[in-house]
Amino acid sequence: MGKKKQKSHLPLRLNVLFFVIFLLFSILILQLGVVQILYGEDAQAEIDRTENVTSEIPTPRGKIYDRNGNVVVDNSLKYAITYTPQKNVQPEDNLKVAEQLSQYMKMEPDSVTERNMKDYWILKNRDEAYSRLTAEEKTLGDLEQYYAMLEDIDESDLSSISEAEMEVIAIKRELDQAIQLTPHVIKSGEDVTKEEYAVIAEHAYELPGISVSTDWSRENLFAPTLSSFIGGISDRNSGLPKDKLNYYLARNYKLNDRVGESGIEEEYELYLQGKKEIRQHVTNSDGEVIKSELIREGERGKDLMLSIDMEMQQALDQIIREEMEKVISEKPQVNRHFDKVMAVMMDPNTGEIIAVSGHRYIRGDEENAPRFRNEAYRALYDAHLPGSTVKGATILSGLDSGVIEPGTQFNDHPLQFAGSPDKSSWTSTIGVVDDIAALKESSNVYMFRTAMRLGGHWDYVHNNRLRYNGEGYSILSNYFRQFGLGVHTGVDYPFEENGFLGDDDTKGYEVLDMAIGQFENYTTLQLAQYVSTIANGGYRLEPHLVKQIHNPSDTESLGPIYKANEPTVLNKIDMDQDYLERVQEGFRQAFQEPRGTAYYKFADAPYNPAGKTGTAESAIYPGDGTKIDTINLSLVGYAPYDNPEIAFAIVAPHLGESDSHINNEIGRRLLDTYFELKEKRQQGETESDPNSEEETENVEENTETSEE
Amino acid sequence: MDNQKQKQRLDTFLVTTIFLLVAISIYTLYTLDQHYEKVYDGYYLDQIKWFVVSSIGVATIMFIDFDRYRKFAWPLYILGIFMLAGLHFLPWGYENNGALRWYQFGSTTLQPSEFVKVFLVVALAHVITSHNEKWQSKDLNYDLVLLGKILGLSLPVFVLIAIQPDIGSSLVIASIAAFLIIISGIRWRTVITLFGSVFVIIATLVIIYFANPDGVIEFIEDTPFDHVADRIQAWDNPHLYQDSSAMQAIKSMMAIGSGQLSGKGSMQYQVWIPERHTDMIFTAIAEQFGFVGSSVIIVLFFLMIYRIIQIALECKEPFGTYLCVGIVGMFTYQIFQNIGMSIQLLPLTGLPLPFLSYGGTSLLVYMAAIGLVLNVRSRQKTFMFESNDD
Repeated sequence: MGKKKQKSHLPLRLNVLFFVIFLLFSILILQLGVVQILYGEDAQAEIDRTENVTSEIPTPRGKIYDRNGNVVVDNSLKYAITYTPQKNVQPEDNLKVAEQLSQYMKMEPDSVTERNMKDYWILKNRDEAYSRLTAEEKTLGDLEQYYAMLEDIDESDLSSISEAEMEVIAIKRELDQAIQLTPHVIKSGEDVTKEEYAVIAEHAYELPGISVSTDWSRENLFAPTLSSFIGGISDRNSGLPKDKLNYYLARNYKLNDRVGESGIEEEYELYLQGKKEIRQHVTNSDGEVIKSELIREGERGKDLMLSIDMEMQQALDQIIREEMEKVISEKPQVNRHFDKVMAVMMDPNTGEIIAVSGHRYIRGDEENAPRFRNEAYRALYDAHLPGSTVKGATILSGLDSGVIEPGTQFNDHPLQFAGSPDKSSWTSTIGVVDDIAALKESSNVYMFRTAMRLGGHWDYVHNNRLRYNGEGYSILSNYFRQFGLGVHTGVDYPFEENGFLGDDDTKGYEVLDMAIGQFENYTTLQLAQYVSTIANGGYRLEPHLVKQIHNPSDTESLGPIYKANEPTVLNKIDMDQDYLERVQEGFRQAFQEPRGTAYYKFADAPYNPAGKTGTAESAIYPGDGTKIDTINLSLVGYAPYDNPEIAFAIVAPHLGESDSHINNEIGRRLLDTYFELKEKRQQGETESDPNSEEETENVEENTETSEE
Repeated sequence: MDNQKQKQRLDTFLVTTIFLLVAISIYTLYTLDQHYEKVYDGYYLDQIKWFVVSSIGVATIMFIDFDRYRKFAWPLYILGIFMLAGLHFLPWGYENNGALRWYQFGSTTLQPSEFVKVFLVVALAHVITSHNEKWQSKDLNYDLVLLGKILGLSLPVFVLIAIQPDIGSSLVIASIAAFLIIISGIRWRTVITLFGSVFVIIATLVIIYFANPDGVIEFIEDTPFDHVADRIQAWDNPHLYQDSSAMQAIKSMMAIGSGQLSGKGSMQYQVWIPERHTDMIFTAIAEQFGFVGSSVIIVLFFLMIYRIIQIALECKEPFGTYLCVGIVGMFTYQIFQNIGMSIQLLPLTGLPLPFLSYGGTSLLVYMAAIGLVLNVRSRQKTFMFESNDD
């Protein structure tokens, strides 16, 4: 009974307790409602603002191979000191790290700006800087206040900064550029000494965010062969080029990404650039990364296989250098304005460029020995008067437009017009020629007569005025353009010159000049495209420097093909096949038949070559009102005549004489080498190894690269 | 025969509630495991293991009539005190984050304060029962002696835990004592006087704090409880301390708040919070399942407590009632404190959320507590006519 009595108070008190508990839990639910329903969106907005930090870790760039699989451009690893800032790093933090780092590494203060120094001074003398502010300035916002502080700093303040401090500033400058949680290279390559690397590696634990790692640099294994042509990439400091900033930013590039700045590196930037590894980081209150989630795996950039044959390329470069040296050393005074030769070799069936060369000769003085500069891009950039090489296009214009017919003959004797200069051929003994012989013997008069007819002046009468109906230029240039003369070839390169061209105001006698290559200027690549179009039966092909793009592989060899640059026909010459064959025959005879202009050089060539020589009068105007008469020698051709596999164009401008025939010399050696190489490879006597020490060293002698 | 049957009866309502809570815990740990790979690797598997082990423990506890636990009350209490004091002189005492709170045996750690909570409940229930058996009449003397006994048992435990320091757990001890004081039979006037004075003291301290926060903080910082100062400041003004002491509170608010009404969905985590698998597990549920999910948790806890109180009411043995109420005191405070701190009702203290937080010791202890309640329930000596309105 006692127990029963004792328990009587329990139900009430338990109910009181239960009520209290009910109240407590109700408060919980109420507060949850406030937090989650009332302020839930704010919390989400706060998360979107502060969480989910991502970083992008760069991957190496794709390599570049030649058509035979030899590495042309590789990545070489080098030491690097990197800084990966945590979240919300303040300038003071960077200063601290910079001061610590300066004990362990050297940093050239070249890039330090006055502003950097002022920022540093304020950080070090904050109280002093603040005390200099006027009462009014002290009421300003943080940013305005800071600008006022900057203005108050004078020379004497800055001169108080010691040299050691300048190093700190230089380091801090680099640190400040780093983006949170993304590694930034402070110093790399040869700048990092082994000692620095070791000491910093040892002390990395006390330097927040600092680590030693490897960076990569571009290495051109065949340098200087083609190195300026392949182009360079920007360094981390310059980052994205200003003129293409939006282009790259729209493609998710970061400001300090290294991108191709010129040449093939620029043209194929989007392929060569690897996919960055993207990580999302979860950080704690100290900004330390607690967890990194891989959002996207990184991938090295894609590899390029050039259409270039590096062995042929090196040989071509050497031939050009030797021939130039020969010409210059034999007649240094006469040829004093001669300083460059360009050549392009191309597969007329695919448009693949096998070799592209451009050399400039720098004459020596007291201090410097004469030397060559490897400037292959000139084959695309420099336009020159092509001379008679374009006569194939002139004949075809005449045939297709109907002003001449196959077999039409003209007597080659000088033309005289009232009020215009005389017009004659180089050779005075040509006589009566038909269309084929006109090419073989390079009759100017035949071309003039054709061009006259295009301009409405049908029959030549001695000393009459040259009549011109104003249509000759548009007819002739329209044909020329179909062969690529005076239009962009479509080559896969960031820039190519279009040529220096005429317009609707072109005079009648200028059309006559144009018919013999004395009026419009074309690039060597345009000439190569033109002769390829004749060689392959009328298909104007887009020239390619890159044969195909490969996916990256883990091994030394090339990965699977990602994309191949298939032959692209830009246009088909729309004319009777007979006409084209007559021009081909004319080209063959020029190389292979007696009286042909290049017969003397190619008569004994076993590979059945065809082509057309060219000589142009090209004056130089130095700008002082004088005019220096020079001669351009050029050569276009292909072989074998019946089944062409290689086409080429050579331009040697501004010679003092034409007797050297440097165009033909180079042309012969170029074709010889091509077929020798082909034979050598077919016999399998040599596994081509252009990497071998000997060969590369040979080429490097007396040469240097130019960065454009 | 009917009595026999009822004796073996398992309270399905309570068991279902607990089972649901544990299932939610395991699932939540699984989502953490999936989302943060390598951070919470296999934690949910551990939790399953411990659940199985502690279920066996529950069965063992239910095997012995709860009345017999009165015999163990004193030995358990003395063992508890020894375990707490032993932290200071036994070789296995293990200090972490400035708190001497654990024993370390190899790779496993043991937190004695968790066990002591239940030991104290048993001891207090026994002492109160004995007191009421001896004292037939209620007067001031009865009140004071009983109060003295309860405080005499609770204070040493409270102090030993508080100096670890572990303010959270010592407040659990205080909560257990308070619940039992209310229910022990001490007359209202004494209870109200006592609680009134405690309230006045706390209120005074709060007023002093708000009148002169810096002074109070400085004062606390000179004591071993300096972390309390941080916690209070962080709670009072979280955005001032968002990079340090208040970080956890802010992150917790962000995670819970962004769950909004129905949550981001399973395994959708956006906010990193330290200790998310243990003390902060509620934020994981709230972020994934929003207000709906969090309310389900609170309702489940409320149903659990409701059922324990019902069992306490129906129990004819005072010892059983006191056991249940002491356990309610323990759970109520822990739940309110844990959830309250993550939604900024209360300052942060390190307390696990019963049945949900990861941890072997705590799960074992709470399951043991439920085992005691189930024991009480299964041995109710109900009469036939009374059991009808069950």
